[in-house]
Amino acid sequence: MMAFARSLADWIWLVPVMPLFAVVVTGARVLLGRAHGDAAEPLTARLTSLAAFGGLALMLAIDALALVHGAPGHRRLGHWFGNGNWEATFSFMLDPLSLTLGTLTALIGWLVVRFSANYLHREAGFHRFFIALGFFLSGIQFVLLAGNGLLAFVGWEMCGISSFLLIGYAWHRPVATGNALFAFVTNRAGDAGFLLALGLAAAWLGGFEWTALSRAKEISVVNDRLLVIGFVIAALAKSAQLPFTAWITRALEGPTPSSAIFYGAVMVHAGVYLLLRLEPLLVQVPDVMFGLVVAGLLTAAYAWLCGLVQTDVKSALIFGVVFQVALMFVAIGLGWTTLALVHLCLHAGWRIWQFLLAPSWLSITRERPPPPPAWLRNNQLLYTVALQRFWLDKLAQTLLVEPTQSFSRDVRGLEEHFIDRAIGQPGRGQALHHDRPLVRVDGLPGRLLASLSDSLQHIEYRLLLRGKGGTAEKLLQRAGAYLRTLEGLLEQPRYLMMAVMATFVVIL
Amino acid sequence: MSGQRDLPIRERLASWVDHLAHVLPAQAPIRDFVHHNTLHGFQHLPFDEALAAAHRLTGAHTYWPEGRFRACFDHGRVTRADLSAALDDAGVADLESTIVRGLTRRDVLLAALLAGEEVAGEQRIAWLRREGRLDDDRLFRHCESAVASLPVADEPGAWEGLCAEVGETRTWRAVLAEVSGEDVLERIRSILQRHLAAHLDLGVAAWRNPAREKGFFAAWRASAGFDLAWELDELPNVRDEILHLPDDPLDVLLDELPRLLPDETRWHGYLERLSLELPGWSGMFLWRDRNPAHGDGTPVAMLDYLTVRVLLERLLTEDLVRRLVGWPMGVAELPAHFMARPDELLVRRAAREVHLPEDLLGQAASLVEQARVGHVDDSAWQALAERLRPALRRVQANGAAWRLLALARQLGLTPDDVDALGAQGVDDLLACSASLNSLQRGQVWLLAYEGHYREQLFSALAANHPRRLSPAGPSAQVVMCMDDREEGTRRHLEEVAPDVETFGAAGFFGVPMYWQGLDDAGRTALCPVVVQPQHLIRELPAHGAEGLAGRHAARRALRLRWRERFYQATRRRALGGPLLAAAGSLPALAALTAATLVPGWFAETRQRWRERFEGRVPTRLALTAERADPATPEQPRSGWSDEEQVDRVAAFLRMIGLTRDVAPLVVIFGHGSSSQNNPHLSAYDCGACSGRHGGPNARVFAALANRPEVRAGLARHGLQVGDGSWFVAAEHNTCDDTVAWYDLEAVPTRFQAGLDRLLAQVGEACRAHAAERCRRLASAPPRPTPWQARRHMLGRANDISQARPELGHATNAAAFIGRRQMSRGLFLDRRVFLISYDPAGDDAQGRIVESILLAAGPVGAGIALEYYFSSVDNERFGCGSKVTHNLTGLFGVMEGADSDLRTGLPWQMVEIHEPMRLLVVVEQSTAVLTAILRRQPPLQELIDNAWITLAAKEPDSGAMARYCPRRGWLPWSGSAVLPQVARSADWFAGESEALAPAVILGGGE
Repeated sequence: MMAFARSLADWIWLVPVMPLFAVVVTGARVLLGRAHGDAAEPLTARLTSLAAFGGLALMLAIDALALVHGAPGHRRLGHWFGNGNWEATFSFMLDPLSLTLGTLTALIGWLVVRFSANYLHREAGFHRFFIALGFFLSGIQFVLLAGNGLLAFVGWEMCGISSFLLIGYAWHRPVATGNALFAFVTNRAGDAGFLLALGLAAAWLGGFEWTALSRAKEISVVNDRLLVIGFVIAALAKSAQLPFTAWITRALEGPTPSSAIFYGAVMVHAGVYLLLRLEPLLVQVPDVMFGLVVAGLLTAAYAWLCGLVQTDVKSALIFGVVFQVALMFVAIGLGWTTLALVHLCLHAGWRIWQFLLAPSWLSITRERPPPPPAWLRNNQLLYTVALQRFWLDKLAQTLLVEPTQSFSRDVRGLEEHFIDRAIGQPGRGQALHHDRPLVRVDGLPGRLLASLSDSLQHIEYRLLLRGKGGTAEKLLQRAGAYLRTLEGLLEQPRYLMMAVMATFVVIL
Repeated sequence: MSGQRDLPIRERLASWVDHLAHVLPAQAPIRDFVHHNTLHGFQHLPFDEALAAAHRLTGAHTYWPEGRFRACFDHGRVTRADLSAALDDAGVADLESTIVRGLTRRDVLLAALLAGEEVAGEQRIAWLRREGRLDDDRLFRHCESAVASLPVADEPGAWEGLCAEVGETRTWRAVLAEVSGEDVLERIRSILQRHLAAHLDLGVAAWRNPAREKGFFAAWRASAGFDLAWELDELPNVRDEILHLPDDPLDVLLDELPRLLPDETRWHGYLERLSLELPGWSGMFLWRDRNPAHGDGTPVAMLDYLTVRVLLERLLTEDLVRRLVGWPMGVAELPAHFMARPDELLVRRAAREVHLPEDLLGQAASLVEQARVGHVDDSAWQALAERLRPALRRVQANGAAWRLLALARQLGLTPDDVDALGAQGVDDLLACSASLNSLQRGQVWLLAYEGHYREQLFSALAANHPRRLSPAGPSAQVVMCMDDREEGTRRHLEEVAPDVETFGAAGFFGVPMYWQGLDDAGRTALCPVVVQPQHLIRELPAHGAEGLAGRHAARRALRLRWRERFYQATRRRALGGPLLAAAGSLPALAALTAATLVPGWFAETRQRWRERFEGRVPTRLALTAERADPATPEQPRSGWSDEEQVDRVAAFLRMIGLTRDVAPLVVIFGHGSSSQNNPHLSAYDCGACSGRHGGPNARVFAALANRPEVRAGLARHGLQVGDGSWFVAAEHNTCDDTVAWYDLEAVPTRFQAGLDRLLAQVGEACRAHAAERCRRLASAPPRPTPWQARRHMLGRANDISQARPELGHATNAAAFIGRRQMSRGLFLDRRVFLISYDPAGDDAQGRIVESILLAAGPVGAGIALEYYFSSVDNERFGCGSKVTHNLTGLFGVMEGADSDLRTGLPWQMVEIHEPMRLLVVVEQSTAVLTAILRRQPPLQELIDNAWITLAAKEPDSGAMARYCPRRGWLPWSGSAVLPQVARSADWFAGESEALAPAVILGGGE
């Protein structure tokens, strides 16, 4: 019996991989043009639903065995890559924390898949939706069940990508695509934190395994702090805590079931899970825990104020969600991790229901909620601040998204004006000299060859006739123009910022 | 500003705002969704002119896309003959004149309609050639050379013309969007939307703008003055400007308008265009302005909204102009600026010319983008413009060649024929084929499409005329709503029970009333929206059940209070929120699992538990007035006097023609729909009851008709309803096809046996009807048995994930006003409103049919036209897909959290609808109908303007004629041959598309 239990736990990888399999099959059908019309829908929906249900059944079975024989704990299933100092593995963590959240997520995921099959019926993006949803179900299970940070990070990214795809579900609406981009870019700040922490963990703890975290006492507090801060930034961004909250309020453009599972019930709690997982590290650094309390309290105040003025149901609900998630951060900061875990589970269960029933708000509620206390009610300034959500989304747009867009524009410009021209394109050749129309070149290699032949000819020519000078002058002029462009670019604040950041990286 | 100048402009503005009611969506807050003609404001115009005007004004498509019509042509739903007849119908001139050798104008136009308007760009043609898809390449080459000699225009649409239309068909925003590729409307909407929603909110937000009592302009200004977003958006001076605005919105408006448009005569048009750019928000604002009683006391004035809108338009367009040209400049100087820069203008506008080769498009777009972030030299614009000019000319030549090719294919011309046409011939041919604009083409297609179905219906009526099915001595008479959905229920009931007679009438059954049910906090009007009830009918606990009712009310209040607490507190209470969320979590997960896996069972169980908790209360109706107080809509009187009751019942029975041979049982069937998680819930309910359930009306009518005092009064009116008859009321749930019966315990025992039989028959008919409905729902089981269908419908109605709980009116197409014999035994595919009317019981002037037409005409037209417009352009007239809808302020839906307010019907409701105007066939002589039409201006508006089509069927001879506003009555002559089947199920089995009529042999023979 014990052997069976052990072997069952070794199949845990199926939980995240089955939805991925459904994604691959559906994706292949879409690519092969097999996913058209009403008849193609049931297969997509049933396959995803089956994958989600399979995951749930497996989780429940492992749960049952865990109740009888105790949780299987950390399971290493295979080697991924590594070097002498550290190793990345395919490992899963089957402790009570992961099992609880994994099971709850599997249940919610399965219900949402079932819900979506009807809700999205006959939508042009039906298969696209299920691909993104399956991808998310896989990613979130990697996050929750992974036995090491690297695998969790893979899941983390999968969640981010599927979130991006579903916010931009209505891709013909500029608001939706703009918001998808906004959420994607803001979340990358969190990823940077995650990556930084992973790198440090490899260096200082000798691996990415969660079990290695128990060795946290061995490293110095300074190192521990840096490591934890990376993870905390990741958690704050994913769970939409200050200063990253703005992205979640702009993420409500997708279909209702995706809003429900991503931002109402499951993904928004991923940051809380990460911190719960890192508890052994966290307790080493009380100042970071204090920081969590502060961030949580500020977010709670922010979400509470903004929630009061919301006029559409989804926005009103999302601020309610952010508020309660903020309380979980406070609880973790105070060291009450069990409370945070219980709160997380119960909150997810309630919100999925409340979000899926958002279209029923007309028949569910009868009267306007009571107004806030009088001192607040009549404060025009605070009202404006709450209505504009503390201008956080505008700030994030100005500080994060727009520099990113300008940067990509510059890279594109670089490619168009320098790299493309340098490489050259076939059939685009142009005559270098009017008097020699047959010599047609494009790109750097072409020009090199042409100029080689040119200079050979030039020498020959100079030997025969004395030509006029001035090539050096032209070259110098051109170099001057390039330098001016470079100088103009460097004056731009984003490059200044990059230079500063590069300096920091070198110092660290 | 002097008082004299002030007064006229104030009045003019007021009249402009009045006029906006004609062009903006007039949809009420979504809780009171009632079908109405989407283009109600244009109803004074003939249909085609109204559609053209709406298209000009809003840019919306007012006809189905031609591709859809052509798909119908391919499926035989429109034929060549229909199209040819439609050309005559549309009044296209000189159809028989010869255009080129052997081809008349009719031939060319038919070919042009079938060929379509699409043209291929250079790259597509090249691709088709490479792939060998251009089979008749030789023909195309000949077409190319044939059009080579045609003159070509040089530039895309003249710039001066575009700017001159500002204030008529476009705003500066649209002009700027064309040249810059940047749409400031997105920013304006984002800035405005939160303030608008906050001002109009009917109950989502807890905290409102402290300055809202002073109106929208003041409230917006108070907030905008504190707003840092202006600085963050790089609009630094805007906040100063806002802080220094005059207090009176009118002064602001009169300051701003001249800065946008110096020409005062264009202000009206500009304001109209401006409001139409956000039609949903503008329409809701205007509706609240016009209906202050339906708000929450916050003052809503349209002028406030227009002021803010104009101010933002000016601020943001000026900002865009500044970024576009590089220095501050008034927007009115824009035309001259670009006139002086033709090359830049050409490149900027060519960036949206889709048929240009992609590399040129890419370069144009890239240059425009460069200009947005930096500076572009004139030489760069010039260089690209030089390359674009020949390409644009090629686009035109390709377009002409492609059109000629498509025509030649349709006309069967060979390459030699094309050569033989000559330059003049080609020119004539292309000119003739392009002589109908896209609106006229749409009109011809629509006429052909309607004509095809009309022919089918006329054949069916002609084939059914000699049958005159009608049971002698019926065992029961069933009166249902005229609703097209009940056509199916009635047909199946007649098939199940051939001895039952059915009637149809507007579903408020002639008893307009305010209704207050036992559980209702306030009263609701249950009658068509145009009627104002003057009486209040209340549902009271039965005598002796007062104690029970008290307990019921207390427990119900407790339950609702806790529900409210759970949903509201978990989103905003700091302490209670987490506690309640935690408490509700496990039940919510359990409920979600049950609702997802077994929705039908879960709903029934929940209902049972609810009843067990609250208790069932037997109720009675307070029908009779105790005092004869005056009754007005403002002060409705409780109950009717005996005489009023008799009048209502008698008038109704006369109207439907139930004046003799009253059966032992008469069932009055109201209807309603019970879908879950659906903001557009009331769009499925009874349109004749203001989008509510019609059950109470049925119950009240039956109770009235059973009163001995009323029976005696009826006898005085010459209507014999003896002791051998009993009226029973029921409500049909059109969503899950169940029936709720009222007051069965009051039925005397002598009717019990007949009643039991009838209940079983109605149940069987509803199940058969459910099976028929399944065929049009792609997610329903194919070929279900009646019981399977019933189970499916029950689950569907209670499924919170179901975006299509039922079909609604998606199948409506026609209305019959006449005796049931006219249509009994015909399979009409739930497409026809059936209104009972006995021409024999009417007077010579047709007073009864006149009143039916007056009541049912606008209701039917409203439903048909709302479905029509929501289908032909779901993006503009409808509200798009439900899946991203987000309920806003309890008055409407947005897409996501930042969009225009979406009005009209969601795509899920209209996706299978076949958009056509309602064909009303009246069983009455043309002479009587003509006289009625002469007398009644409201009917003239509908019928003479062709918003509905009127047809007459002579009661005796069965001869039919159609009314054409231009040519008068057109007698119909056609074949009366129809397929015959034993039962409905034999005809629809396995079919999922709309079906042609058929004769059902089993029904009542």
